Amino acid sequence: MIELMIDGKKVTAQKGETVLKVAQRYNIYIPTLCYHKDLSPYGGCRLCIVEVEGWPLPVASCTLPAQEGLKVKTDTPLLKDLRRFTLQLILSEHPHACLICDRKEDCAHYMECIQKAPITFGCKFCPSNNDCELQTLVDYLEIKDIPFDFHYRSLMVERYDPFFERDYNLCILCGRCVRMCQEVRGAATLDFHHRGPDTLVGTAFRLPHLETGCQFCGACVDVCPTGALRERYGKWQAKSEKSVRATCALCNIGCSINLNIDSEGKLVSSTPDNNQICVRGRFGIVPMVYHARRLTRPLMKKDNRLVEVEWEEALSYVASKLDEHRGKTGLLFGSHMTIEALESLYRLADDLRCSIAAPLDIDGKGEPLKLEEFKDESVFLVVNTDMIRDFSPLLLMLRMQSKIQSTIIVIDSLENKFTNMADLWLQPKPGKEFETVSLLFGRGKKRNTTGISHETLERCKDILKKRNVYVLYNPAHSRRIDVPKSVRTLPLYSSINTLKICELGTDGSVDDILKKKTIDCLYAIGVLPRLQKGYKTVIVQNCFPPPFEFDVFLPTVTFVETRGSVINIEGKVKKVRRAIDPVGKSKPDDWIFQRMSEILKYDIKRRRPRQRKKKLSRVFEDMGTSKKYPVNLLVRENCYMYQGHPLSSLMKGFQRLRDDTALWISVDVAKKLRIKDNMHVRVISRNINLELHARVSDNLPENSVLIYNHPFLGVDQNQAVRIECITKETR
Amino acid sequence: MKPALIISAGTCGLARGAGEIVKAAQDYQSKRRLQQKFDIIITGCHGFCEAETNVVVHVDGKQIFYQKLRPENVKDVIEKTLLREEIINNFLWSDPKTQQVYVYIDDIPFYRKQKRILLGNNLHVKPECIEDYVKLGGYSALNKALKEYQPKRVINLIKESGLRGRGGAGFPTGKKWELCRKMKSSVKYIVCNADEGDPGAYMDRSLLEGNPHSVIEGMIIGAYAIGAREGIIYVRNEYPLAVKNIEIAIKQARKRGLLGENILGSKFSFDITIVRGAGAFVCGEETALLISIEGRVGRPRPRPPYPVEKGLWGKPTNINNVETWANIPAIILRGAQWFSSIGTEGSKGTKIFSLVGKINNTGLVEVPMGITLREIIYDIGGGIPAGKKFKAVQTGGPSGGCIPSELLDLPIDYESLTEAGSMMGSGGMIVMDEDTCMVDVARYFLNFTQQESCGKCPPCRLGTKDMVQILNRISRGEGREGDIELLENIGGNVKRGSLCGLGQTAPHPVLTTIKYFRDEYLAHIKEQRCPALVCTALISYVIDPELCGGCTICAKNCPSNAISGEPKKVYAIDQAKCIKCGICVSVCPDKFRAVKKVSPALT
Repeated sequence: MIELMIDGKKVTAQKGETVLKVAQRYNIYIPTLCYHKDLSPYGGCRLCIVEVEGWPLPVASCTLPAQEGLKVKTDTPLLKDLRRFTLQLILSEHPHACLICDRKEDCAHYMECIQKAPITFGCKFCPSNNDCELQTLVDYLEIKDIPFDFHYRSLMVERYDPFFERDYNLCILCGRCVRMCQEVRGAATLDFHHRGPDTLVGTAFRLPHLETGCQFCGACVDVCPTGALRERYGKWQAKSEKSVRATCALCNIGCSINLNIDSEGKLVSSTPDNNQICVRGRFGIVPMVYHARRLTRPLMKKDNRLVEVEWEEALSYVASKLDEHRGKTGLLFGSHMTIEALESLYRLADDLRCSIAAPLDIDGKGEPLKLEEFKDESVFLVVNTDMIRDFSPLLLMLRMQSKIQSTIIVIDSLENKFTNMADLWLQPKPGKEFETVSLLFGRGKKRNTTGISHETLERCKDILKKRNVYVLYNPAHSRRIDVPKSVRTLPLYSSINTLKICELGTDGSVDDILKKKTIDCLYAIGVLPRLQKGYKTVIVQNCFPPPFEFDVFLPTVTFVETRGSVINIEGKVKKVRRAIDPVGKSKPDDWIFQRMSEILKYDIKRRRPRQRKKKLSRVFEDMGTSKKYPVNLLVRENCYMYQGHPLSSLMKGFQRLRDDTALWISVDVAKKLRIKDNMHVRVISRNINLELHARVSDNLPENSVLIYNHPFLGVDQNQAVRIECITKETR
Repeated sequence: MKPALIISAGTCGLARGAGEIVKAAQDYQSKRRLQQKFDIIITGCHGFCEAETNVVVHVDGKQIFYQKLRPENVKDVIEKTLLREEIINNFLWSDPKTQQVYVYIDDIPFYRKQKRILLGNNLHVKPECIEDYVKLGGYSALNKALKEYQPKRVINLIKESGLRGRGGAGFPTGKKWELCRKMKSSVKYIVCNADEGDPGAYMDRSLLEGNPHSVIEGMIIGAYAIGAREGIIYVRNEYPLAVKNIEIAIKQARKRGLLGENILGSKFSFDITIVRGAGAFVCGEETALLISIEGRVGRPRPRPPYPVEKGLWGKPTNINNVETWANIPAIILRGAQWFSSIGTEGSKGTKIFSLVGKINNTGLVEVPMGITLREIIYDIGGGIPAGKKFKAVQTGGPSGGCIPSELLDLPIDYESLTEAGSMMGSGGMIVMDEDTCMVDVARYFLNFTQQESCGKCPPCRLGTKDMVQILNRISRGEGREGDIELLENIGGNVKRGSLCGLGQTAPHPVLTTIKYFRDEYLAHIKEQRCPALVCTALISYVIDPELCGGCTICAKNCPSNAISGEPKKVYAIDQAKCIKCGICVSVCPDKFRAVKKVSPALT
C-alpha cells in the first residue's frame, strides 16, 4: 500500500496504480481527453497534468505511477492556465465556432434544420453534438475565446466504407481509436501517419477500411471523444435518452449490449456494454429492426392474392389448417426465438403431432464452452473456422482468459483475416482439413495427402507437445474429429440457443422433413428452406418475406421487441429485453404460439415436451473431383443470418463487407473460364444445379469455388462441381 | 615511429576530397616502392573543418600540419616533407587575422587551447584497426575494471568523477548507473544514443568514425557496472561511415574476446548490436529512441517511469550519449580525481562543441568545462570572418538559445547556460555575426523543431506551429502589436506543457532572442524594418548613385529586368519590378560595390 497526498488529502494507492486512477477513486476530478479506462495510458493530451511538489514541470497523471510520499496538486492556477492553453490549441484545429459562441444556449432552439449540412464546421452541424467530450471540457475550463488562428484541415470526409464515416477534420489525435484497434481488438487497422503538425490517424497507405484488416466492430467509433468517427445509420437521428441492457441474439455468443432509445421510444443504436462485440451487434440490429422490407402485418392468400388481415383471422386460419393436417405437418424452425417461445413451440408440436426440425447439426451432449477451463500454455487448434469473422468476441475472450501463453493454430484451406493473425497457419488442400488434424495426432491414414509438408507438420506437433490442446471447429463444416482422448474438442455452434435445441432434440433433419412424402402442410418459423415438393398449405412466420410462395404470413418481432431468455455457447442464460414496442402489428413468437393453442383449446403450459432424437449429424462424403466435376466446391456456414435471411441480403453494408450470396471463385478457375465479377454462373454437381453471380477472390486455394451456406440454396457440404458461365451481364 | 602521412578522412574530409588524397598517396607509395620508408595512416576527422582536407606529416617525432591539400600536392608533400624534411610554406595554416604561419600542429591556436582527451586519439588511431587503439592503452581500462574493481566500485568512481550526461540534460552518469544497477531484473539493457540530430552538431559522428573502440570500451565497462548483458548502439542511418566503423570494431572486439561470453576470462558476458535509426530528430529523445528500437514509430512517452525503471521491452535500461560513453575508459584509467580536477564545481571534464557558423576556424573543439565563450570564439575559433562584428551564439542546437555578446565572458557549464535561457544540449555552437537577423534565426530553428515534432501532444504539435506562423508574419512585416507577448506566452506554455524534451525546449530560440534582442523584434513589428537586412519582405535593393560606375553588369544579370540606365551612367532599380533575388549585389564589381540593401522596404 502506498500513501500519497492529492490536493492535501491523504490517499492510498495500490502498487502500479496511476495518480489519475487514485484520484478518480477518491472522486477528485482531473480533466482528461486521451485517457480511456480500457486502454493503456498515453499521456498525449496534456490535460490531466498535475503538479508534484519538488518537480520542475507538471506531469501527466495518467502515466504517473503513484509513489510513496508524493505530494500532488490537481488544480492550481498554473495547471488551469496550461490546460486552457492546451485545449485552446486543440480547438484551433477543431471547428469551434459554436463551442465559444456566447449565444450557444439560445441557438440550439432555432437551428435544428441546419444539422444536415454535409461538412461539420460547428457543433450544430456535428452528429456528436451534446455527446462530445470537447464540449464538456470547454465548459469546465470556461473557454470563451481561441486566441490562435483556426486551421481547418480541409480533408475529404471518408464515406466510402460501410457502417461508419470518418471526418478527420474533427480528429484531435487523442489516439484512443488507434489504441483500441491495436491493444484491445488486435486488428491494428488504424495508426498515426505523418508527424508534427501533419499528423493524422488513418489506415496504412490510407486505404479504405474494406481493404484492410478492419473488422468493422465499431470499437473505434465508441471511444472517439469527438464526432470524427460516427456510425452512419442514425447519424442524424435524435440523441439517445435511455439505454436498455440486453443481449444480442445474432450469434451464439450472445454479447451483452446496450440498446439506446430516443425520447420517442425509437431505437437509435446498439452499443457494447463494457465489452467487445462484433459488426453484427454493433451495426446490424437497428437497420434490421427498421428495415424497409420487413413485413409487420399478417398476410393471407385470398383468391390467389395476398391481402392484409387481422391477427385473429390469420391465427384461426392457421389453427384450422394445423388441425386439419394433424400428423401431416412439417414444422421447421430457427433458433432465433427465446427459450420460452421454443418450449411453447415444442408443446404445440407435440399436440399437433408435427414433425419438427431445425437447420442444425446437433449433438446430444450439448456441452457448453467454459472459458474458465482454459489454462495457460494452451494451444487452440481451430479448424475451418474464421473466428475473427464469426466469433470475434469469443476470440478476444479466449485471448484474455489465457493471456499468459496461448498459441493459436489454424487449419484452413481458405485464407482470411484469422489465418493471417494466427501463430501458425496450416493450409491443406481443399477438403483435407480433417485429415490434417488426424495426421497431427498420428491417427488415420499413414499417407500424407494434405499438401502440407512433413516439416511443417512436425513443427506443429512440437508446439502441441506437453500443452493443453483444444480443437475448436464449426460442426456445420465437419465430420467427426479424430483425436486422442486427452484432446478436448469444442464445437463452435454458430446460432444462439443451440444448446437448448440439443436438449429438446428434433425429429430428424430439415432435409428429412422436406423429403417426407406424407407431409401436406409446411410451417416455417424463421427459416427459409429450399422446397422440394408442393404443399397444400405453406405457413410462414418471419420478419421478412420468404423467396417462395406461401398461404399465410405471420409477422414476428426481432429480439429487441420481446422479453425472454436465450442460452449462449457458454451455457449462460441471458435476458433479451423489450427495448421498444413491436414494430407495426408484429407479435412475439411465444404470443403467437400461446394464442394458437388457445384457439386450438390446448393448454400448452401444462405438459413437458416429449423426448426426441438428440443426435443428428449429416453424412459427409468425400468430394474427389472427376473429369465431369473438375472443381472443388467449398461450403462454409454463413454465420451472418437472421431468421433464415443472410444479413447481406438485408443490409448493403453487410453485402459490401462480404457478398454471402455469391459464388466465390478462385483466380485460376476464373481465368480458365473467363469469369469476371458479377457474371452469372451455374454450379452443377450430382446434387445441385444453381445459378449465382460470381466473385473472384485470391483468398481461395487453386481450383476451388466457395459458397456460404444458405439453407435456401440447399448446399450444405463440400463437393465436386462443374462451373458453367451462363451470362456476361453484370448485375 | 616511422615517418607517416596522417590523413583526416572522416565523412566531411572525404566530402572535401580526402579520398583522392589517400589514393594519390597510395599510388605514389606503391609506384616508388616506398612502403618501407613511410606509412599512410587514414584516420577519422582531426576536428579542424576549416582546414580540410588536412594531413599531418609525422616526421622525426614532429607533426607538421598541412591544410587544404589537393591530390596534386601529395607528391610534393611526400617528396619534400616526408622524405627530406623540407617544409612547404604554401600548405601551412596561417591565422586569418594576424597572418602568422604555423608549422606544427601543437602550435596552432585552434589545437593549442583545446584539451583533447577524447578527440586527441583520432589523430593516432586507424578506426578499423583495434591494434592502434590497444597500443594507445585501449581496453586496459576494461581490464582494470574487470580484474580490480567490483561493479559498485566502478559506479562509485564514475560518481566521484562528477561526469554528467553529455547528451544535453546533464544527469549525473554515476547516479543513473546506480539507479539502474539497483533495479531488480534479470535482464537489463544499456543503450548508446548516437542519434545525433541537431543541425550543425557532429561530435558523436566524429567519435564513432574516428575512435569507435573508445565508445565500445565505455559501454562494456558500463554494462559490467550495471549488470547488463546486452547493449545497443542506436545510430542514424545517415552516418554510414560511423555504422561501418562500429560494425568493424564490434567484430574485432568479439574476435579478441572483448565482447561475447566471459570477457577477458572473467565471468562477465556482454555483447553489442547496432540499430540504425531512420533519421527522425525526436528519436534522440530517450523514450522515443527505445520505442524506435522496439520497431514502433518513435514517439516519446511521458516519464516517469524512467527508462532505468521501465525501458526497452519494459526492462531497466541505461541510456547514455556517445560522448559520455567515450569518457568512461579515461576516468577508469586515470582516476576520478584526475577527471574531477578538470572543469567547474558542478560540471567536470571536457565537452566537445561543434563550432560552426560565422567563425574563422570552424571545427570540433574539446574544451574543459568552465571555459568562457570568448575563449572559444576568439582564441580557438579565431573570431568572426571579414571583420564583421559578433552578434550572438546559438548553443545547444535548435532547442538551445541565443546568447548575446554581453554574455561572452560566461563560463560554460550546464547551469550557466540554462540560466542564460539556453542549454548545453549536445554541444552545437552556431556563431552569428551582425548580418544575422534574430527573428529570422528564431524562425529557422523553430521551423525545424516544429517539423520534427512527433505530433503526439498538442502544445508541441500546435503551439510551435502557431509560433512559427506568428514569426512568419513578423518577418513579412505584418507583425501585430502584442505579438511579442503572445510569443512569450505561447512559448512559456509550450515549455511547461509539452510531453518531452523536444517540446519543452523548442521555444528557447524564440524566447532568448526576444529576451536579448527585443529591439529587433520591435523594429520588425513597429517600423517594418529588419536591422540586419535579411527579411526579404522588409528590405529593398538600391544602387548608390555616388558609387555606381555604370558598368551595366547588374542590368544584364537582373532576371526581372528591373534595372535600367545607360552605360557609363548611373543605374537604378525599379522597385515595382524587383523580386529581391540579390543577384545585383553579388555581381556588382568589388571596385564599385554600389548595390545596397535598405530597410524598411521602399514602396
